[in-house]
Formats: sequence, C-alpha cells, structure tokens
Amino acid sequence: MEYVVETLDLSKHYGEHILAVEKLNLRLHRGEVYGFLGPNGAGKTTTLRMLLGLIRPTHGTARVLSQPPGAPSGLARLGALVETPAFYPYLSGRDNLNVLARHAGIPRERILPALEQVDLADRAGDAFKTYSLGMKQRLEVAAALLKDPELLILDEPTNGLDPAGMAEMRVLIKSLGQGNRTVLLSSHLMNEVEQICDRVGVIHLGELVAEGTVDELRGQGRLRLRVSPLEQARELAAHMNGVTDAEVSDGRLRIAVDAGEAARINRELVLAGVEVSEVYRERDSLETVFLGLTQNGSANDVE
Amino acid sequence: MWNSIVAEVLLLRKRLSTWILLGVWTIMHAVFGYVFPYVIYLNGDAGSAGLPAGLTPARLVGTFLEGYPFFGGVIALMLGVLAFGSEYGWGTWKTLYTQGPGRLHLFLAKLGGLAFLLAGFVLVTFAVDSLFSYALSLGEGAPIDWPGVSSMAQGLVAGWFLMAVWASFGAPLAVLSKGTSLAIGIGILYGLVIEGLISAFVNSVSALRSVAEAFLRANGYSLVQPLGVGGEAASSNGPGAFSGPYVGGEQAVAVLAAYLVGFLLLSALLLRRRDVT
Ligand SMILES: Nc1ncnc2c1ncn2[C@@H]1O[C@H](COP(=O)(O)OP(=O)(O)OP(=O)(O)O)[C@@H](O)[C@H]1O
Ligand SMILES: [Mg+2]
Repeated sequence: MEYVVETLDLSKHYGEHILAVEKLNLRLHRGEVYGFLGPNGAGKTTTLRMLLGLIRPTHGTARVLSQPPGAPSGLARLGALVETPAFYPYLSGRDNLNVLARHAGIPRERILPALEQVDLADRAGDAFKTYSLGMKQRLEVAAALLKDPELLILDEPTNGLDPAGMAEMRVLIKSLGQGNRTVLLSSHLMNEVEQICDRVGVIHLGELVAEGTVDELRGQGRLRLRVSPLEQARELAAHMNGVTDAEVSDGRLRIAVDAGEAARINRELVLAGVEVSEVYRERDSLETVFLGLTQNGSANDVE
Repeated sequence: MWNSIVAEVLLLRKRLSTWILLGVWTIMHAVFGYVFPYVIYLNGDAGSAGLPAGLTPARLVGTFLEGYPFFGGVIALMLGVLAFGSEYGWGTWKTLYTQGPGRLHLFLAKLGGLAFLLAGFVLVTFAVDSLFSYALSLGEGAPIDWPGVSSMAQGLVAGWFLMAVWASFGAPLAVLSKGTSLAIGIGILYGLVIEGLISAFVNSVSALRSVAEAFLRANGYSLVQPLGVGGEAASSNGPGAFSGPYVGGEQAVAVLAAYLVGFLLLSALLLRRRDVT
C-alpha cells in the first residue's frame, strides 16, 4: 500500500537535550483528514517542517507523495501552511500569490479563484501588511490552494482566529478534505480535531503516544446504571457474559462491556429481580484522553 | 526559470528601498560627477581654461565610472543584502521553499532579478551623466563629441560588473547573518574601514602592498583605469579614495570574477544546506 505520507523513525534533535521529534512513525492514507494533535512544544511544527524539507531530520526518513521531503516534484503536488503566515509585506495579496505562482509554474488564472475560495477577493489589492491576522491566515490557505494540491499540510490554521473565523476555517478545511485530497492538520484544539478529522495521532514530547479514529481513542467507555439493590446487581453483573469489570461508584453501577450489549445487560438484570431505572453510556471525552496521554511521558498505543 | 526571474523583478520593482537607492545613486552621480565640479569651475577663474574636460561628453565614460569602484559598490552591496537578507526578516524563505521549484532554482532566480536591477541602475545613471555633460557643454559652448559606441558599451558593462561583484558580496553576508542590518554594517565596515585604511597605508608599509592588491578597491579601480578614470579622480574620491597600487586590467577582471563566483557559491551552499526555521 502506498501512503501519502510515510515516516520511519523520523527524529530531530537540537543539541544533546532537546529531542524535538523522536522516532516518529506516521502513515497517512490517501483521502483522509489526519489530525496531528499535541500540546505546545510537542514537536508538531518540527515534524511538518521535516516533511516539507525545510529542516533535515537528525535520524530516520520520510516520504511525502512518494518523494523525499523537499523534492520539487513532491512539493509541486502539495500545499502547506507552517506556523505564522509569511508573505512580502509591501506586496498586495494578489501580487504575493502572483510571485508564488510564477515560481511554482502555476497559471495566473488560478490566483483569483484561490482568493475567492478564502473570501479575500475584495481585499486582494491591499498590501499584505495591512491585513488582519485572520486575513493573513486565509491568504496562506489561498497560497496552499494555488496548486489544487493532493496533500494539504496545515499547521494550526485556526491559530489566532476569532470564533467565527475558526468556524469558517473549519468548514473550509472540511470541504477541502473531501474527495481524494489528503489533509494533515496539526492542532491542539480537541473540538477542531473531533469535528474535522478521520484519524488522529497524538504526539507528546516528540513521540507518537496514540493513534486511531476519534472513536477508538475515546475507547468503548462503560455502562452506567441506576439500579436497586446496588450490591446484588454488581454481583450479578460481574458474572455476566462479556463483562470485564463491574464496580459501584457514586451510587451507580459501572460496568465495562461492549456498548452494544446494553439491552441484554438490562434484560438480564430485570429478569433477576433488579430494578433498573436508568442506563447510559459513559465515555471519556477526547480531551480527557488527550490530557491523560500528554500529562506524563508514557506511551500507550490505541488500536 | 524565466517566470521566476520575472517574479523576482516584480519583488524588487515594487520595493520602496529599491527606488530610494536608485534615487540616492542618481543624485550622487549628478552632484559629485557634475554639479560640484561645475560650481568649483565657476568659482575659479572661469572662462580662461574653458569647461573642465571631465564635464564634457568626450570624457563621459570616465566620469560615469568614477564612483563605481566604491560608492556604486556600496549601493550594490545594499541591494544584494536586501534581496537575500530581507527574506529572513519576513520569514518568507519557508513560503518560497514550500512552493517547490527548489532552493537552487530560487537562488538563481534572485540573482537573475538582481542582474536586471543592476542593469537598470547602470543605465539610469549613464543617462543622467550623459544629460549633464551635454547640457553643460551646450551652455558653456564646449564641443560636443560623444565617445564611441564600443567605449560606451565597455563603460556600461564595467559599471554593471563592479556592482554585480559587490552585490554578490552582500549575498553571503546576508545569508550568514540571516538578516540585513548586520550584513550591511559589516559590508560597509569592510569596504570603508578595512580596505580603505590598509590601502591608505600601502605607501608607508610595503608589506601591505600584496594584501591591498587583492582588495575589491584595488581591483575595481584597476578595472576602470583603462576606461578613463584618471588617477586624480580616484585619489580624490573621499572615503572611496584610491591611489594605487594598480594591477593590470585583465588581472583585475579575473580577481573580481573570482570573488563574484566565490561569494555566490558560498551563498548557494549555505542556502541549500541550512535548516529553515
Ligand atoms: N530551532 C530550534 N532550536 C532549538 N529547539 C527547537 C527549535 N525548533 C523547535 N525546537 C524545540 O523543539 C520542540 C518542539 O517544537 P515545535 O515547534 O515542533 O512544537 P509544536 O508542537 O509545534 O508546538 P506549538 O503547539 O507550540 O506550536 C520544542 O521543545 C522547541 O523548543
Ligand atoms: Mg507549532
């Protein structure tokens, strides 16, 4: 299987002590929106810079669109936005895109549609330095879209945007990720990742500590039941098929079991004479999982 | 590649500092090449000797080139530094590099843009000098004999080449310092203080002679000397003054070309290899 992005033990060290990225193995499938989640300083930007050939790995290798990072033939098929938007301040948005299009050999006819796509067409003639942060960010997305890229690499694209701007940007990213286009989105915002991403990798202290769909990361969760009598119900539940754990907490019965079994558990308890007045599934939020993963250094691979 | 060069020219053309430097360089040409000498002539016993030869069209090429070995060099140094160093300040290297034509390609495009820009500087100042020499000679009733086309062409090429050497000196300074201010400071410090002082001591300390002969200054003046920049014009050039030792014209071209290539290779190597953060 050919991956759109594939890294093998990709590492970047700064000096002896800073392991910005350590033995990272990432694989992106064609067409997916991959969320690259990590707290500040986790190594997200460093990873993306390596994928773009801006910095050299200390160890390990990467292939991007089947090319080594930074190869012109690979870069010609991807669009990227890394950290803060950087353009020529005295040039208008349009001229900035014109310069980039000329360097990349892209027809000038693509400039206006790209500006329209990010809703910047009516300010395209103003100098970049007069733009608000949100406009700068959108210009950078426009620059990434010039090539109609197969792969979009977006480093915290909603950074610094107001709530409306964030929502707009998310809608845009979601629409950009449709079809065959692959998106690699780095972020530390849970709701962003939950809304947009098909699959998520969590990076912490330079290492990938978890990977999977949002559902997989959040895990099966547990069933929580309001029952009476409590102790008898716990005893019964503990011996039922498929139940791996049953405990009492906060006056409720909590059992670890596949969520699809809720109806059967309920029936069996009722048949055994237990009164069941409430059944619900309790799951960790992505945030809880994320904090759990990133507040210590231990690796924990979710499959 | 052509498209990339056009992009770089657009970048330089829309930049205010380009126009400021062009204005400064043009005014320097007019003022130091023609206006001051003419005022001095008027204040002397005018009429007796006629308009000084340096102000006539016949000596256009020599007067035009006077400022290039040093002052034109400093202007070009700034242009070279700005072209490469500003990209660090704006953070635009990453934007350029991720567009994908390759680092070497972008480097060459920048050089191409600069080459055009320098040609513009040379042509504009040549036009201004022509205008002044023509107007003064007309006003003073001096003969108007234009130099031959080939000597004009030689003058233009020499001016462009000197600027190109200094601009290429600016490139590694900008890339090494990852910016503009320090690079311009070091470049001027080198040209003005180190080369200038050592050149001034050559006549008393003969050991410095071979050092001075390798300087941009010595080779620059040696290049333009056969094209009509008199010894007096060179030695009265203020901070850019030079009074020997001269080297042969061909040697000067070879040494300057070696500098140009060396500076550019060094910059290209650094740009290609270094991390962009
Ligand atoms: N040029 C550099 N020199 C030294 N250390 C660096 C350099 N660049 C990054 N680092 C270090 O590498 C680590 C990872 O940084 P990186 O910018 O990749 O984090 P990040 O995940 O993008 O964080 P954020 O969410 O804040 O953007 C940090 O500890 C940072 O200090
Ligand atoms: Mg970052």
